[in-house]
Amino acid sequence: MRMQRIAAVARFEFLSVVKRWSYLIATFGLPIFLAVVSGTVLGAQTYFLTQRAAESSQFGLVDESGVIDRAVFEQRDGARVWTANGNDVVLYDNGDVATSDLESGRLRAVYIVAKNYLSSGEVRAIQSDKTPLLSMGGTTIEPLLRSLLRKSLVEGRLDGDVQERVISPAYFIRSRLGPEGEEVTGVDEALDLLVRTTIPLFLGILLLTALLSASGYLVQTVSTDKESKIVEVLLSSVTPEEILAGKLFGLGAAGLVQFAVWSSMVVFVALSASAALASVVTIPWEALAVAPLLFILGYLFLGSLMLATAALGANAAESQKLTMGWAMLAILPLMVLVILLEAPNGTLGQIMTWIPFTSPLTVIIRLAVDPSGIAWWEVIGAMGVLVVSTWLSIRVGARLFRVGFLLTGSMPSLAELWRQAR
Amino acid sequence: MGVLEYRGVSKRFGQHRVLEDLSLEVQSGEVFGLLGPNGAGKTTLIRVGLDILRADEGEVTLFGAAPNPKTLDRTAYLPEERGVYRRAKVRELLTYLGRLKGLKRAAARAAADHWLERVGLSRVAGQRVESLSKGMTQKVQIAACLMTDPELCVLDEPFSGLDPVNVGLVTDLIEERRASGRTTVLSTHMMHQVEALCDRVALIHHGTLVVYGQLDEIRRRYSRNEVIVWTAMDLVALGVQATQHKPGGWRVELPPSVTAAGYLDELVRNGVTIDRYEPLVARMDEIFVHLVGGGR
Repeated sequence: MRMQRIAAVARFEFLSVVKRWSYLIATFGLPIFLAVVSGTVLGAQTYFLTQRAAESSQFGLVDESGVIDRAVFEQRDGARVWTANGNDVVLYDNGDVATSDLESGRLRAVYIVAKNYLSSGEVRAIQSDKTPLLSMGGTTIEPLLRSLLRKSLVEGRLDGDVQERVISPAYFIRSRLGPEGEEVTGVDEALDLLVRTTIPLFLGILLLTALLSASGYLVQTVSTDKESKIVEVLLSSVTPEEILAGKLFGLGAAGLVQFAVWSSMVVFVALSASAALASVVTIPWEALAVAPLLFILGYLFLGSLMLATAALGANAAESQKLTMGWAMLAILPLMVLVILLEAPNGTLGQIMTWIPFTSPLTVIIRLAVDPSGIAWWEVIGAMGVLVVSTWLSIRVGARLFRVGFLLTGSMPSLAELWRQAR
Repeated sequence: MGVLEYRGVSKRFGQHRVLEDLSLEVQSGEVFGLLGPNGAGKTTLIRVGLDILRADEGEVTLFGAAPNPKTLDRTAYLPEERGVYRRAKVRELLTYLGRLKGLKRAAARAAADHWLERVGLSRVAGQRVESLSKGMTQKVQIAACLMTDPELCVLDEPFSGLDPVNVGLVTDLIEERRASGRTTVLSTHMMHQVEALCDRVALIHHGTLVVYGQLDEIRRRYSRNEVIVWTAMDLVALGVQATQHKPGGWRVELPPSVTAAGYLDELVRNGVTIDRYEPLVARMDEIFVHLVGGGR
């Protein structure tokens, strides 16, 4: 194969695609659109949170039963106030004053511990008509009041530890029985797992989207060549292998640019997350590092098959249908994502690592979720399989490409294809 | 040795045999006419010669070797079903096609400009192909084909869709190629162009070679031994077995043993005043119809 000719085809195809509006919008418009949408959503949320913060966070408490432990309240501006979790609870002796403060908007709600509380357990909650009924459900005030009541009820009546356990009966320590015995699973690890699964999932979807997008351009370019009848001119100048390789590289470069722009968003998010959550999470740098290489190899493999099969279609619609099967194979890891996330290094993960259709996405997921569980030789081996498969698919693809390129009318039989491709 | 040679070439698509044991040779420096009715196998023959399709049987040589990237660089092809990238700009397209033939970028660009000038399309160099008329697009395609000054150029119906001025332009370009020793294969149904341009021809029918050789020799071979004698005299009155061709023109069928030159001598000796004298040679369209139309 002559590199200059391949480069000429690649350059032409690359420029043809990147100058299209659809490409520019998809590549640069999508991140901008997402940034605008997420910015708007975040802005709106921030606005409402600010508004909410500006609202009163004071609650009134009227203790008709006299069971509340007054010791937790402190004097502030002539009132007795208990502050917990950012909420101020003001203790009132007179229910009318509390109601008046509620009406004036100083309080968000008033809780009245009924006189017969000990026998009935009744605590009345009165909200301002300005406060939506449901909005109280989101506050932490009621659990806090329960704790206060519990503490007040047992204070001095039980031993210190028993009293503490009545107030806070249990702190759960979660663990998992692994191969090396019991492993404690902290809250941090749960968060880490969340980030570890979210980022690979996002990265995987991006990889797949970019792969399928670049492959889509390949299908489109073959259809254009066939429908514009320029194919004979091309084939009288360059070999099918050179056309195939040129198209693969040119459109692959366009796909890579798209993937780079998109994945830079992921890297940005990852870096932001890393800075904010450095103490609790680990960013899957291994997966991020090998992602471009896996994209290139996965694209070359899938792309050469797509090109060869697309050439068999009489028009763009038929070519799309013919290449759909390859796309379905490539998204297989997403279909079994739950299994891969649960057991990234299980049998399924290991098998899919070695299948060229599924290996790019599987390796990314395995590296992201549990990098210690995948051996370096598995990563290298998967790439090796991809390289060999790509070489084979280009060889076979070029023959089919030659035959398919010149076909018009109905699809030939497999036997006919085989005979002509020899 | 021929520039392009086919020896015993056969090709079939499914059960349909398109070429059947076909042998012919295109010689260096000639304009070779490839003729035949629609579906005769001409395009397949060209495709096999340029390695776009592979023959099932037989051998093809291009510049003395099996068609390969190097020999293909010395050729150019204008297919009948010619296509262009319609959204590309004219100069970009030509530069790209020149690059595919191995020209460096600057050389391809210079050749594109030169050939756009030659075909009178310099003013549209920066326009998209889709904005051009059919005839202009065809001239772009012809320019693309000739821009590398190929040693062998295969032109499949280069005149279709062109007005008389542009037919003249393309004819001149083909003549120039012959004058500079370049070889041209011309596949066309325009028989008067074949007569005007071709040195040798091959007529294919149902994938087999029906006629092949020097154009003049073929025309003579299929001609009846007739002459037209242009004279003011009444030949019938002089006892000559003639029929009136046109006013002042008499058609005379000669016996097989008599040549046109001998008959001219005889007329002069008998005192016939001759204004013009022309041996009748069969036209290519007559030969074509005779051979592929079952003698109709």
